[in-house]
Amino acid sequence: MGVIPKPPQGQFNVLYFASANSFTSKDYDTLPAPLPIGKLFDELEKKHSGIKDKILSSCLVTVNLNYVDVPNGDSEDASSESSVVIHAGDEVAIIPPVSSG
Amino acid sequence: MDPITGKIERLKAQISETEVELQQLKAQLARLEALLSLPSPSSEAQANDQPTESSRKWTWPLEEEEYTRYGRQLILPSVGIRGQLRLKSAAILVVGAGGLGCPAAAYLAGAGVGTLGVVDGDTVELSNLHRQIAHNTARVGIKKADSLIQYCRGLNPEVRYVGYGEHLTPQNAQDVVSAYDVVLDCTDHPTSRYLISDICVLLGKPLVSASALRTDGQLIVLNNPPATQGSADGGPCYRCVFPKPPPADSVVSCGEGGILGPVVGVMGVLQALESIKLLAAGTGKENYQGPGEPLTPSLLLFSAYSPTPFRSIKMRGRRSNCFACSASSMLTLKELKTGSLDYVQFCGVTTPINILQPGERVSATDYKSILASGINRGSLLLDVREKEHFDIAKIPGAINIPFSTFQTKSRSTSNGYSAHLEWLPEDVSSDTPIYVVCRVGNDSQLVAKKLKDLGLDRHGERFIGDIKGGMKAWKLEVNQTMPFT
Repeated sequence: MGVIPKPPQGQFNVLYFASANSFTSKDYDTLPAPLPIGKLFDELEKKHSGIKDKILSSCLVTVNLNYVDVPNGDSEDASSESSVVIHAGDEVAIIPPVSSG
Repeated sequence: MDPITGKIERLKAQISETEVELQQLKAQLARLEALLSLPSPSSEAQANDQPTESSRKWTWPLEEEEYTRYGRQLILPSVGIRGQLRLKSAAILVVGAGGLGCPAAAYLAGAGVGTLGVVDGDTVELSNLHRQIAHNTARVGIKKADSLIQYCRGLNPEVRYVGYGEHLTPQNAQDVVSAYDVVLDCTDHPTSRYLISDICVLLGKPLVSASALRTDGQLIVLNNPPATQGSADGGPCYRCVFPKPPPADSVVSCGEGGILGPVVGVMGVLQALESIKLLAAGTGKENYQGPGEPLTPSLLLFSAYSPTPFRSIKMRGRRSNCFACSASSMLTLKELKTGSLDYVQFCGVTTPINILQPGERVSATDYKSILASGINRGSLLLDVREKEHFDIAKIPGAINIPFSTFQTKSRSTSNGYSAHLEWLPEDVSSDTPIYVVCRVGNDSQLVAKKLKDLGLDRHGERFIGDIKGGMKAWKLEVNQTMPFT
């Protein structure tokens, strides 16, 4: 992962770790803010077809180094977190589980 | 060197190594026996103001030698004599004697834990040695658990070692894990990660979990403090962090994905550190007071090549609907042992891909004759392995379009029937056969299929197929004098 530049005005960075990095062949993407957390996966799917099933469904998501729950339609814990909105300048990270060792 | 000579050499080396170890043990025994048989002070000696029996007796809580051995850590406020005694009375289990387990166990043995258990059913392989630092060339072929213990015993014979030369299973997990205070997950697969987490929740053991692949690592202390299922005081378990396993076909092992030795080493060393912190603070002991205030669990991410190599992520406590540690959890020891939880099923199984018809696949041998005969002069050979593999060794004439970039590079630049792909050489005629090769013959089928779906086979006018068994088969059948990675 190289140097991640600050996102342009009105945007935020999404960093890709481990298998998310391999899947996208990218260290990061930049998306327009604000974005409700519940819409994040759909936006990423538009950029990287197939990423939702292959990577996002099992990964952990953070905003500014804090863990956040990402509500998805069929899950029960869609309540409290659905209000989280990603703001301009935020740093979102996609962290898939790494299991080797 | 043929395999038998190699084995003989290894056995010889192993024997001489074991003899050295035996001598060390004998020397140690002799030292201790000498201490016991010190002549009891005679009356004459007493009269001469020689030390009395009581003044000769060592009455301090650690053995004399231990003050020297552990002196450098003993004088740290975070350890101290209390912490050292706690370490000495602790039993710690390392599951997995590989890239994480080797450094973790070595530091724990060095630090003087009381009992060190090592679980691993695998045997040492040559390709392990660049990172699994406790094994060595002479011990290729022996059980990893034995090899790691042999290394640790040389480091610190005062520790009690227990080896388990088998993998942890739902059936043996309770028996193995219940004898320990803290568990380290040093394994390499999602199935074992979920199993270890579950048994640690059920038995109330803190779990120090780490993983590494390529140049990335993760570290998290789970179930800390340990608490009964449903108790909000307990730390999250692995299922709280990753409730859903990754799709089986996306799970990459170090063998497939690669791993840099120091990356996994760093993670294993950090596991030892976290364990020492837990043990020296008294975690897992009955009179343990706990940290006083709730801990904020954190996940440490290591990216070796990032300008910010370490990132610490603030995690949440237990997940209210966690399958394993929540109040609503139905997980029990009995259920685990009887095998009603199928970890393999839960994490998914990969089956070898078989999507091409037999007529669309050629064996490596046949491809060799096709090349030699010149029938398909100018045919295209597409190697879809990652560039690093391609750079190491390739079939002459192959072009490299790594599978990972295939999707993006295969968007057609014009619409309709005459789709043209950006990687396709301009001068290739539209009926030139295309052969696809990969590492072992899975990705090549996916790519061949995709090319057909894009209409490149012109309804059967052009041959598109793959080399069955990939470069592995090529090495086996056609060219043995070629590295395979």
